[in-house]
Amino acid sequence: MHMIKDQVSGISGVELYGIISICLFVAVFTGALVWALRLKKPFLNSMSTLPLSDEETATAKKGISHEE
Amino acid sequence: MNVETFRYDNRIVRAFAIATVVWGLVGFSAGLLIACQLFWPSNYDSILAFAQNFHLGWLVERLGPSLNLNLSYTTFGRLRPLHTNAVIFAFVGNGMFTGIYYSLQRLCKARMFSDFLSWANFWGWQAIIVSAAITLPLGLTTSKEYAELEWPIDIAITVVWVIFCVNLFGTIIKRREKHIYVAIWFYIATAITVALLHIVNSLEIPAGPFKSYSIYAGVQDALVQWWYGHNAVAFFLTTPYLGMMYYYLPKAADRPVFSYRLSIIHFWGLIFIYIWAGPHHLLYTALPDWAQSLGMVFSVMLVAPSWGGMLNGLLTLRGAWDKVRTEPMLKFMIVAVTAYGMATLEGPTLAIKSVNSLSHYTDWTIAHVHTGALGWNGFLTFSVLYWLFPRLYNTKLWSPKLANWHFWIALLGMMFYVVPMYASGITQGLMWKQFTKEGFLQYPNFLETVLQIVPMYRLRALGGSLYIIGAWLMAFNLWRTARNGQFVPEVEVQAAPLARHEAAHGEEAHPYNHRWLEAKPILLTVLAFVAVLIGGLVEIVPLFLIKQNVPTITSVKPYTPLEVLGRDIYIREGCVGCHSQMIRPFRSETERYGEYSKAGEFVYDHPFLWGSKRTGPDLHRIGGKYPDAWHYNHLDDPRSTSPGSIMPRFPWLLTQTLDTNALAPRLAALRKVGVPYPPGYENGPAQKDLETQAAKIVADLKVGSVTTEPDREIIAVIAYLQRLGTDIKAQPKTAAPAAK
Repeated sequence: MHMIKDQVSGISGVELYGIISICLFVAVFTGALVWALRLKKPFLNSMSTLPLSDEETATAKKGISHEE
Repeated sequence: MNVETFRYDNRIVRAFAIATVVWGLVGFSAGLLIACQLFWPSNYDSILAFAQNFHLGWLVERLGPSLNLNLSYTTFGRLRPLHTNAVIFAFVGNGMFTGIYYSLQRLCKARMFSDFLSWANFWGWQAIIVSAAITLPLGLTTSKEYAELEWPIDIAITVVWVIFCVNLFGTIIKRREKHIYVAIWFYIATAITVALLHIVNSLEIPAGPFKSYSIYAGVQDALVQWWYGHNAVAFFLTTPYLGMMYYYLPKAADRPVFSYRLSIIHFWGLIFIYIWAGPHHLLYTALPDWAQSLGMVFSVMLVAPSWGGMLNGLLTLRGAWDKVRTEPMLKFMIVAVTAYGMATLEGPTLAIKSVNSLSHYTDWTIAHVHTGALGWNGFLTFSVLYWLFPRLYNTKLWSPKLANWHFWIALLGMMFYVVPMYASGITQGLMWKQFTKEGFLQYPNFLETVLQIVPMYRLRALGGSLYIIGAWLMAFNLWRTARNGQFVPEVEVQAAPLARHEAAHGEEAHPYNHRWLEAKPILLTVLAFVAVLIGGLVEIVPLFLIKQNVPTITSVKPYTPLEVLGRDIYIREGCVGCHSQMIRPFRSETERYGEYSKAGEFVYDHPFLWGSKRTGPDLHRIGGKYPDAWHYNHLDDPRSTSPGSIMPRFPWLLTQTLDTNALAPRLAALRKVGVPYPPGYENGPAQKDLETQAAKIVADLKVGSVTTEPDREIIAVIAYLQRLGTDIKAQPKTAAPAAK
């Protein structure tokens, strides 16, 4: 174990990988968070009802739900 | 107003649904069989005597002392991968395709991109399953967990997966719905990540039609394998099923998902964190410390998105909980989501190094994965099937009452499975670590810790049986439902095409706008791919740096020809399913097994055989521990040397002739992956070395009063076992570790 640790820590900047990974994660997570929070309510409502609207169109062959 | 008329394809959904039920029953039954094998042999004689009282001795004899029908094909080591592959790729795989092919068409308002590709996906996948069901019992395996299938089947998997991807993305591109619902995001992440994982982990050099060697060795192989193994759980067993949860749960509850915002964070958080967590399967092994810590930290962080998703699912039922009483489908769904929550809290707990030091190699892991498999995947699949069949057949479920029975029996079965496995895992883990006041191991004999938990194995088999009975009730119920109704092969629908649809909503149908829309799923795919790739790269790049830096222990030499063939038999018989070859740096382990394992010892191990479960003891330092004759007798009948052992017999090793024709291509293939055999060694000198070593073992066996021929498979296995972990002992005294 120690032997390996010594060898690996000999690779220049190996500890950097851990730091890179955490920084990347924080960046991606913040990005997703900001994106999600900036979405508008009507859009979110229309998105979340998507699975519920397909049956409607499937059964109502004549009436096209998109038109409204 | 221009609307298009088109038809949803229900035939492909039905085909996958039926395959799900059939393979589910097969996979569960294979699991029950191997579960019974673990307690059957320890009291075979008493069972035989008991049966003879009722003139049923012939039946017990036929089943064999290892409950393997006295056949090599049905022995534990070969059937365990069959069980895991059947449940993961056949049951969950078909379940995933069922769920995707139904929901994708409806969410995209489009028929699948190509009927031909749909059926190529279906039949190709079934052909792969059948070939797995044939090759694994034959012992044709790479031994890498959940990636056991040999190279021709690996290629077939790649082809069929590409077919699925083309069909998936084709459907998304030609969709009539502007926005891509979150379920489809999860499907996209599944498609691209599984492709990446499968290809990288399956890189191997063929050494015959059904034999290959991993291009990675030792530590590298282990890290790539568990990067794959962990993310197979993430992107095969989790993301497609989360997509299904986001589609079928709102439909069954008849209300939109609790928070669409949360589902976005759930998605990106999950796919980005999951990909880093693989090294938690290798804690306290010879893997570099920083990689272990990285795996641990990201595993703990995984709780957040996982629980976000679970709560999003459960809260979707706000105001509709009364439906859970009447809808069996929702009952299953709720337990599935709850089991997901439990498994995703437990997983990060097990990834904490101190917890892992106790849990690893024990049945605790088995309990954990079955909370996920039986609870999350099983119950969610049942839920979707109960919901789909009445719709596919335009009728009502034949018997909701029977479905309720299924629910309670399966839930009870799950409890009877999981609880004994926790008890067994913790008991055995503690026994392994227990020291006496004088500082000696309290249970120096490994077998003692096994016999302690055999009653738990019996209870587990009871749990599994209940679960299977439930699954049969479902199969019957669905069959009656189908008989009562009329199959609806296609559903005719109308929808406006995308550009027109835009216009109808008053948005500008500008060509740029349209192109941007089409690019969106591609952009999403690229982003998701980058997210998973970054995790993989940051883990794997240092891995190749290590490759140049792994300390070469000069005394570690390549295996001899006889040992290579012995190792291949070890792989064929699935020994790695029960025996690890990785001694962790704990006093309890070095006392029991010997010096802890070093990364430099595995540089010629293509593939690595560290294992993940100790149903039997670790074998890394088995070399030289017992005389050759002990191994001979032990493999013939483990009870002859270790009374009460639950290991199966391997009598065929004593009679089968060693296939030395395989030697030349195998040594050549090993040289290709980097083992330094001299050029031309396989043509002549290798065969001679093999014969010399075999003759020596035969002579040694004679001393132990065993007479056998030098060309038997057992000779090669003994050669390999006696070599294990002995190389570092040949080091000069000064390099030896301090006295224990």
